[in-house]
Amino acid sequence: MSNLTTTQRLRIGLKDQRLLLWLIIIAVCIIVDLLNPRFLSLDNIMIVMQQISVVGILTMGMALLLITGCIDLSIGNIMVFAAVIMARIIMNNGSTGEAVIVGILCATMMGLLNGLIVAKSRCMPLIITLGMSNVYYGFSLVVSNGKFMNFNQQFEVIRKTRIFGVVPIIMLSFLVFVVIVSAILLNRTKTGRRMVAVGGNEQNAYLSGIRVSRYKVLVYGISGFFCGIAAIVLAARLDSITSSAVTANYELSALTAAVVGGVTFEGGRGTIVGAFTGVLLIGLISNAMTVLSINSYIQKIVEGAIIVIAVILSNLSNMKHQ
Amino acid sequence: MVKPIVRMENITKSFNGVRALNGVSIDIFPGEIHCIVGENGAGKSTLMKVLSGAYSPDSGKIEVDACSYRSLNPVLSKQLGIEIVYQENLLVPTMNIVENIFVGCEESRFGFSKFKSMKSKASDLLDELGLSLDLTRRVEGLSVAEQQYVKILKALVKEPVVLILDEPTSMFNVRDSEKILVTVQQISKKGISVLYISHYLKEVVRIADRITVLRDGAVVTCFDNTNHDVPLSRITQEMVGRSIDMFYVKSPHKIDGTVLRVEDLRVTKDSPSVSFELRRGEILGLAGMIGSGRTEMIRAMIGADRKFSGRIILNNKEVSVDSPRESIRCGIAYVTEDRQKLGLMMGASIVENLTIVGLMNKIHGYFVNYKHHVALIDDVYRALRIKAQSPLQEVRYLSGGNQQKVVLGKWLFEDSDIFILDEPTRGIDVGAKNDFYGIMSNLVEHGKSIIMISSDMPELISMSDRVIVIRAGRIVKELSGEDITEQNVITYALEVNANE
Repeated sequence: MSNLTTTQRLRIGLKDQRLLLWLIIIAVCIIVDLLNPRFLSLDNIMIVMQQISVVGILTMGMALLLITGCIDLSIGNIMVFAAVIMARIIMNNGSTGEAVIVGILCATMMGLLNGLIVAKSRCMPLIITLGMSNVYYGFSLVVSNGKFMNFNQQFEVIRKTRIFGVVPIIMLSFLVFVVIVSAILLNRTKTGRRMVAVGGNEQNAYLSGIRVSRYKVLVYGISGFFCGIAAIVLAARLDSITSSAVTANYELSALTAAVVGGVTFEGGRGTIVGAFTGVLLIGLISNAMTVLSINSYIQKIVEGAIIVIAVILSNLSNMKHQ
Repeated sequence: MVKPIVRMENITKSFNGVRALNGVSIDIFPGEIHCIVGENGAGKSTLMKVLSGAYSPDSGKIEVDACSYRSLNPVLSKQLGIEIVYQENLLVPTMNIVENIFVGCEESRFGFSKFKSMKSKASDLLDELGLSLDLTRRVEGLSVAEQQYVKILKALVKEPVVLILDEPTSMFNVRDSEKILVTVQQISKKGISVLYISHYLKEVVRIADRITVLRDGAVVTCFDNTNHDVPLSRITQEMVGRSIDMFYVKSPHKIDGTVLRVEDLRVTKDSPSVSFELRRGEILGLAGMIGSGRTEMIRAMIGADRKFSGRIILNNKEVSVDSPRESIRCGIAYVTEDRQKLGLMMGASIVENLTIVGLMNKIHGYFVNYKHHVALIDDVYRALRIKAQSPLQEVRYLSGGNQQKVVLGKWLFEDSDIFILDEPTRGIDVGAKNDFYGIMSNLVEHGKSIIMISSDMPELISMSDRVIVIRAGRIVKELSGEDITEQNVITYALEVNANE
């Protein structure tokens, strides 16, 4: 019977971890707000929401990938390419609709291509997508000729439409849409259950009659599609784009947020809500550093350290269960 | 009288409540070849791993050179002069023979390795054993037999007192095994004691000075084989022979016509052709030693691995089975042997695991909520008598027996017609085993058919209606009715009769 009590203890521990994330979020909010009361103002919260919107959308794709036992390090460059091609179309006097459709299509195709290569070659997705990342970066250089490109305020409406003068409702709805779609897909569809099965134990999934490659390609495609949506939000926020926008390391931020939110590298574990909590926490911390006017170089150090700590913690909690 | 250099006394070791060794005592004299024989799971490997320090025993003591130890660890065991050569290949393919032999104990001066001195040492050793090998060749280019030599040499350069060889000839043809046997005799002449584990009884009788027989984790007897004349039949008798209460009594059931015929199944171009059939309501046992190719055969049959040839005829209709998905469509369930690696999502709940196969046919609609599936799996969950807090508990917190029940359960939920069970009860406790046998009986009573790969002799004998014995990928014998005895199975599985 001691067996039962240990499992009970472990279950409580697991719940605590999720709780822990929220406790940290609340703690950060209270402490920073005490130091600078502007932190919890509606204005600043909306700034945080805007800041996390792009990474948040990418994180949902990354979370789905990780849960399926895959990873894609080229999502940053896929998004930038989608944005660049949209800008190119607009600058060539194409319609905004055309630009959006082509952008999303390109991003989805790029995701699918990654998935095909990973599934068919059976090589390490980490290396494959790192290589593809450079390929896609090259594509955006070619299309943009390495220059700054303009969206001619075509997407301004997304940024400027605000309820009560502060809440950027359209921009947020992109993020909310992606989060809800991901959550339903993962938890409430056969596709999602099979994705979890593939990530949880690929051999088992194969022997249980699941076409493993098909689900891998699909999830890369979904992540690519999300990159296309993220590109629209990016266009709205910046109104201009350059190929080197990728120095922002979007894929790494998405990976960090997912891992902080309890999605593991081993696959099969993690939730969309968890990943979103991760995005929120990372967003709050980096905004807090700005609000507290901490040197931006120091900010880099903290961001990097968070990745390492998150990975170690997620590994520790895994080891505890064994 | 010569004193033993190693004494193991009353060694007991359990895994998850299953006794692997039960008060085993054994001693080793200097320079002798001491063979350990026994069925699969008799405890041979466990005993060797206790001696090599890989496992620490629950109780008992190990005496080496008059010093007594409660348990050893790999470092201590090596210091005491005990070296083990495992079946698995632990060589570095891209290094040459000399480098491999001296991995971890390289000779060096000022941090630079002294290749020449190592090479000359290795070639001295080769001469002593009467072998010839080009020491500068890379290991990846060597044959399996040559790699085996390298493994043995690697152990010998450490100048051991006791050398443990675990199934050194299992992958070899007759000529190569012959050479290894001669080498083993050479080694013992150097004064090194050899503990030799093998399924090949003829080899054992040829080289052993003493033969210890293990059965169900205990020493049954120890033959003196100084004259190399212990009859094989006496050894096999000792290996089997169990009391009646270890056998499950299954209720009689009806067996009808053929449901499945497998014709000319060949795993690779060079493997032997295999044909067999399965009848409705029958439990067909696949017997054989570990490594006899039973799992490979089955995996090829259900399309999990590529096969060279083979026709599958289901209910008199030929079907194409090129992937597990297609075999599931045909109503064939494959309950895998390694539950952690192949059979379960450890981090997912019981419900999710139970419904993963049935998601295709048994659960309708595209949108699902696995928490609602708890009601669907209720029958299966009850029939299996899984001990868990709730069906939503994660599988990794369950005991081995309950995990194994979940693996079977996903196919019960799918309601397959033909169940292939690969070592269904390995490593699970007696209670869970009996639950399994009950479920299997129930299945065949309801007109399902079962193919059971098993290395558990009592299980094979009490459950099977018919037994096919497999050796080296070939069907060597079909046994049915009264002929299914431990003695018969062991005899055919071990090639005791082969050249007689």
